[in-house]
Amino acid sequence: MLWYKAWLETRGRFLACLTTLTLFCFVFVHHAQEIAFRGDGLARPGGTADYDRLLFVNQQFLVIMWVVSAVLLGMGGLVRERAVGVSTFTLSLPVSRSRLFGVRVAMGILQSAAIAILPWCAVFLASSMAGLPIRPSQVSLYIFLILGGGLSYFAMAILVSSFFEGEYTAPAIAFGVVLLTAIAFDAWLRPFSLWRLIAGDLSIDRRTYLLSPAFPWRGVLASLIAALFLLLVALQRIRRRDF
Amino acid sequence: MLFQKLNPALGQPLYLQLMRQIQHAAETGALRDGDQLPGIRTLAEDLVVSPNTIVKAYTELEHSGLLELRQGSGAFLKAGRRTRSITDRVQLARRRLRDLIDRLREEDLHDEEIQRAFEAELLATSEISRKR
Amino acid sequence: MTEPLAIHTTALTKSYGRFVAVDSLNLAVPKNRITAFLGPNGAGKSTTIKMLLGMIRPTSGETMILDHTISTPNTGRRLRERIAYVAEDKPLYGYMTVEQLIRFTSSFYPDWRSDDAQRLLAEYRLPVDKKVRSLSKGMRTKLALLLAFARRPELLILDEPSEGLDPIGIEELLRELVSQAAAGVTVFFSSHQLAEIERVADHVCILNHGRLGLSAPIDDLRQSYRRIDFVFEAAPSARELAVPGIERICSSGRQVSVLTSRNADEVIRRARDLSAVSVEVSSVPLREIFLETVRETPEFVKER
Repeated sequence: MLWYKAWLETRGRFLACLTTLTLFCFVFVHHAQEIAFRGDGLARPGGTADYDRLLFVNQQFLVIMWVVSAVLLGMGGLVRERAVGVSTFTLSLPVSRSRLFGVRVAMGILQSAAIAILPWCAVFLASSMAGLPIRPSQVSLYIFLILGGGLSYFAMAILVSSFFEGEYTAPAIAFGVVLLTAIAFDAWLRPFSLWRLIAGDLSIDRRTYLLSPAFPWRGVLASLIAALFLLLVALQRIRRRDF
Repeated sequence: MLFQKLNPALGQPLYLQLMRQIQHAAETGALRDGDQLPGIRTLAEDLVVSPNTIVKAYTELEHSGLLELRQGSGAFLKAGRRTRSITDRVQLARRRLRDLIDRLREEDLHDEEIQRAFEAELLATSEISRKR
Repeated sequence: MTEPLAIHTTALTKSYGRFVAVDSLNLAVPKNRITAFLGPNGAGKSTTIKMLLGMIRPTSGETMILDHTISTPNTGRRLRERIAYVAEDKPLYGYMTVEQLIRFTSSFYPDWRSDDAQRLLAEYRLPVDKKVRSLSKGMRTKLALLLAFARRPELLILDEPSEGLDPIGIEELLRELVSQAAAGVTVFFSSHQLAEIERVADHVCILNHGRLGLSAPIDDLRQSYRRIDFVFEAAPSARELAVPGIERICSSGRQVSVLTSRNADEVIRRARDLSAVSVEVSSVPLREIFLETVRETPEFVKER
């Protein structure tokens, strides 16, 4: 019943973040309707591009909120339990630390995936119902970018929470890392910026505001490898640490 | 048979106290030949003592011939001459003690002083007699 | 000791830098007995228990539990199925309800007994739908104990189990311990409540500064520790009265009080040789044995 425990521990955060992003999407689409139907509406030249541009803007907001959610979902774990005083109970269960870690990570990934997929589904639904031009292929690309690239933020949060036990210290440090890496990449390594990757900035066509169908595999792969590496380091830490 | 709670403050192993209680019950007739004693688990829970204490007491009493331990059924008071002779000897000893206590009281000793002196002598002499 | 052992450590050590929390400990806990684990605060009891359960990695030494040598973390995992542990502070997940926590815990242990769980729930009067964080301290303690007692493990380890319980609760706790022991469970518990220990323990281990000060069956202690009060014509010096086993000598004028862990009769003989006028022997309660084992001061104390 480790999954049950992981669910109970994270459902508040998960549902709050999911609700926030989904609501945001509905509001965004509602607001977009007014902008899209200005003048002659979508029939005018470049009208469709207007909506695609709005979808791109939507992604920028979603990415910010998604990364915050992923970091929050990466908090907790045995180190936090130790601060609260319950790690002795968890560790006395006949389960390996690897399994405890694995379930926590898997639950977090599933929840992060839901927070990437469901809000975009809401956008798709709301747009379709409002008669706005939205392509499923574009939605899928946006979702894959968030998931493929964003998981390394989640992994980083897991790593941070495997070292720092403070209820506020751990998330503060994790958000700090997000900020610092974003700034550092932006300043010196713009073409390799993870943030720009997941926001679609590296594959967007600035005229049509359509994401290039040529998916940035290398960038996503690099991010996934980094995520795996961070998770392994975190796992090693948990396995070796005295509780 | 009614069991009294065992008292660790007496400084004596608890199993010995239990043995004494059972022996006393046999002497006074509270336990008769063939009566069954409580099971180890039941008695341990009643007295709130380690089951090992009960086991030791029952085992020692089996060795001395007072109890019979039947596989699967429990502990029973053994019928036999040996138990009756113990009873007689104890009754004689108690009569002697009664006389002694009366005399000591006449000599103006308080009951607590008598008891303390008796216990001290008992402990002291038992050390020496064990080495013999 | 020829008795089979449930726990056996060989030179178990845990050091944090230069501080040695557990120092070359050779702990031997007999199977099917109730063993009490005593020691002052900071003696290393909790650290030792955590090393037994795989929560803390020993610096050196070997551990054998239930006939298995703990070498890989995986051995520990399988062993924990056969061990029930109630930690100090009775840690429980505050966000679960009583019922959720019971369901959660029971799912991990094949030796879980639902009937006993139901019985204890009723006996302890625990509210099943309340969240654990809103329970009183006494209720939380009872819930933590229930999670261990509703099982039939091979080894039951408890760290300060009576903390937070009123006298009725303590009595119920001892009765459960005894009941488990009668069913064949090895009980290993640490406690500061010497009165409880004297009632139910078969074996006593005393830990001090990470080292084993004493490990003996409680009946051996009862039969060999003695306090002997002498009055002498002329008080002898400590050297004259020296007999192996003497732990402490207090003297004042012609009175000499000796605390000895064994050889009481030899002490009496020696004292009589030195013309002791009065000899009074009494037994030594566990509290004094404990204080004597963990004290720091030199063994000869002269007053006035």
